[in-house]
Amino acid sequence: MTPRRRTLLAAAGVFAASVVVGTGATVGYGLATGFDRAAERADLPDVIARFDTEGRGRVDARVRALPNLAARSYRREVKQVPLAAPGHATNRGIAQIVLGGRRGYAITEGHDVRRREVVIERGLARAWDLHPGDLLEIAGARLPIAGIALSPDNVAFPLTVTPRVYLDAATVPPGFRDPNLALLWLADPGRADITLTQARATSFGIGHLEFITRDGVRVLLGQAAGIVISLLVAFSLVALAAAGTMLAASAHADVQRRLPSFGVRRALGFTPGALVLAQAAAAARVAVPAAAAGLAVGALAVAGPTRNLLAQLNEEAPGVALVPVLLACLAGISLLVCAASAWPAWRAARRPPAEVLRGADLAPPRRRRGTGRLRAGLLGTGARFALAARARWAASVATVAMCAGVVGLMFALASLLVRLRDDPGTVGKRYELVARLPPEDAGAVRAIPGVADAAPRYVTDAADSFRLGEPLRLIAYPGDHTRFEAPPLADGRRLRTDGEAEVGVGLADALGLRPGATLAVQVPGGSEVRFRVSGVVRALENDGRLAYVRPARLLAADPVLGSELAVRLSPGADRDRVADGLSRLGAPPPRPAGAATTRDAGFLGVLAGVLRGVGLAVGLVCLYALVQALAMTARERRGAVALLRACGGGDGAVAAVLAGAALAVVVPAAVAGIALQRFVLGPLVSRWAAGFADLPLNPGVGQVVLVAGGLAALTAAATAVVARRAMRESVVAGLREE
Amino acid sequence: MPRVSVVEARGLVKTFGEGRAARRVLDGADLDVGAGEIVAVLGRSGSGKSTLLHVLGGLDRPEAGTVRVAGEPVTGATERRLSDLRHRRIGFVFQFFHLLPELSGEDNVLLAGRVRGADAAAVARGRELVDRLGLRHVADSLPHQLSGGEQQRFAIARALVNDPALLLADEPTGNLDAQAGRHVLALLRGLAADGRAIVLVTHEEGAARIAHRVLRLEGGKLVG
Repeated sequence: MTPRRRTLLAAAGVFAASVVVGTGATVGYGLATGFDRAAERADLPDVIARFDTEGRGRVDARVRALPNLAARSYRREVKQVPLAAPGHATNRGIAQIVLGGRRGYAITEGHDVRRREVVIERGLARAWDLHPGDLLEIAGARLPIAGIALSPDNVAFPLTVTPRVYLDAATVPPGFRDPNLALLWLADPGRADITLTQARATSFGIGHLEFITRDGVRVLLGQAAGIVISLLVAFSLVALAAAGTMLAASAHADVQRRLPSFGVRRALGFTPGALVLAQAAAAARVAVPAAAAGLAVGALAVAGPTRNLLAQLNEEAPGVALVPVLLACLAGISLLVCAASAWPAWRAARRPPAEVLRGADLAPPRRRRGTGRLRAGLLGTGARFALAARARWAASVATVAMCAGVVGLMFALASLLVRLRDDPGTVGKRYELVARLPPEDAGAVRAIPGVADAAPRYVTDAADSFRLGEPLRLIAYPGDHTRFEAPPLADGRRLRTDGEAEVGVGLADALGLRPGATLAVQVPGGSEVRFRVSGVVRALENDGRLAYVRPARLLAADPVLGSELAVRLSPGADRDRVADGLSRLGAPPPRPAGAATTRDAGFLGVLAGVLRGVGLAVGLVCLYALVQALAMTARERRGAVALLRACGGGDGAVAAVLAGAALAVVVPAAVAGIALQRFVLGPLVSRWAAGFADLPLNPGVGQVVLVAGGLAALTAAATAVVARRAMRESVVAGLREE
Repeated sequence: MPRVSVVEARGLVKTFGEGRAARRVLDGADLDVGAGEIVAVLGRSGSGKSTLLHVLGGLDRPEAGTVRVAGEPVTGATERRLSDLRHRRIGFVFQFFHLLPELSGEDNVLLAGRVRGADAAAVARGRELVDRLGLRHVADSLPHQLSGGEQQRFAIARALVNDPALLLADEPTGNLDAQAGRHVLALLRGLAADGRAIVLVTHEEGAARIAHRVLRLEGGKLVG
């Protein structure tokens, strides 16, 4: 191989690793800091309080007396507002009437709201393609859009099904000017608990008071992105380690080639330090531009999806703030490459010049070992070549195994996200349909052919009575809920009485609950209901912040609590016929049981896309590692390849030998990679990303086939590249080296 | 008996280096070798003996001249055609044996028989050669466990595994002690007696004594 080609190959490795680091840094940094950036820009309040509509003077008298308060403003929030624009309509709009004071949102386009105008949230503008100056119909009134607003106190429409618009108080009738929402900015946000405790104490007479803190919003939004950030950071490190290993091997070979020149220069008086510096500088000349290009390509490749992802979370993309991060990555990669190159140079330079001039090897020579019963066909011979250099073989297997494990995990995660979107069974749901029918119709539904079971399912969002910043979801079934939802038990036992609850791990962790503890919740009606915790379950819904109970106590606290019927189908049942049966009972068309976040389809799709993209980037690193390992083998066994050609072996024979060398790496790496995913990465990521649930991340047959097929394709590609190169070499020159 | 020419080389020219450093090692060399004939090529070190072998075997290309082996053109052939020709018609024996260190002696012999296109009998022939050359007792040994003579006999067996018409031997005794060298030379004589053409490159006058003809490479030309 010419020095130019060697340089290009090394640069390609740095480039591939940098692409992965660039993607990881862009998505990870964007998600890790997106909320804070958006909150800062929007001047998000530290506490948002919701309550029953009340006279402004009465509310303000309580609020202004709160300790630690820096500023306050009020709004009237109206739900179920019909919104329409050309081609789009919803009846689930939320209109927030701005009653003066600080806004708590940022205007990203246009200007702030004025009389007879409307400001709309960015998610709505993106989803409906609306711009300032367009008209939006709000409850029958057509108003011009003054501006687009960003407020990260919730995810964006359509990730949330309720688009928000902002109106000026002068636009609405006087009856809509009493607030039901207070925005509070605190002097010391770290002491929000004092303010909240005082607020609870002085809230007598104000109904349905609920608080959400800025930290609470960050936690809720962060959980959605947490998996991706953790994974990307880990995978970037994997890619760097893989590239580092291969670059170190390459640098070792390069120094080995230059040993005579090292000897001459040492004899001429060059110090070891000068030689090492020269080697490191040469490495930097390759690494810096390759890494810069790779980081740029990686960052640009995921910039669009990341912006989309952040927009769906109502967060801000980092923009130029990403540049210092990428520069830090550039410095890190360059240092890694220089170190990998300088180390073997340092080892060589420290040896006595006479020894180096005599042609000593960089490493003490080791006798090549036989490799037992391996059959000595062309493939077997190639495998023996690879296995002869045990340390490099092990490093290559480790690198490719790690890549295979990572790629497998990425695809498993992407497929999990899609299943979370489409398959309720993924989250332990055993019912397939939800029918809007009263509880007393459950018997009639059970009688429909194809229905295995049916029961009312009550759901209400509540808050912990002791820590009001902790929202939770209560799910109630009469009798045994495991007939319909059976998340696995992590601790304790199933509930047996009306006074018991099974709590999700997410809630148990947040509130410090264990079996035997008391769960006190404030339901939307304002009443408090208490349960004894019988067990802790690994549930994915609502990030595990939920509790399964029986409905008696909930209905006692809130007699009008609504329910729907959960319908479990018999195996092989015809959904359409069951749906017909349900509509004969007067139910509107039943909807399929959602998995974790049915309405988050777009969001989950974007996440899955990002994961698959990173998986492909890691696949590139894998290809590079294979090409490097094979090229090193071919380089070292140049003489053997020449001999094979002298014996009449053509390109097919050379490719077979190299394929054998590649297979000696890929086959154990594939097995190790799948085992790595099954026993290490999967459980680790599952615990890391969603300790509150059992994420089914084990590789399925399809994924194993996909990873194995991918590795086979990479092997073929790497073999073809290196064989082509080997065939261009002179046979005579190769024979001289053997 | 009419002589069948296995190798016909005409006007071979080969130069190494450029400008003032250019050195023409072959300068119009001609050679004919018949079946069953051993031709020894003598010359001082660096005179171009090995280059001549490489050109005859299609491992290197001359700047001018033609080579035919068993009637098939070597010069001008494509790389694929040359591989095929080496595979079917030509066997090489090298001074330093070139046995692959990871393979046993017998596996080294059989390697050439496993190349695509090898005839079905190649592997059986390889095993028979191991027996015939008295190497069965060390057939499973790795090269570093073998003596120089044993290694060279394995290398000769490898060269013969595809039953070539031409054997090109480059200093086959150059790395052997006297007794092992005599053994190898006797072996080559026997192979010629089987009807193979052998070109033996050496700088040892003693080795040349087994040859039917002795040529010297002087000034890039072969002289009798």
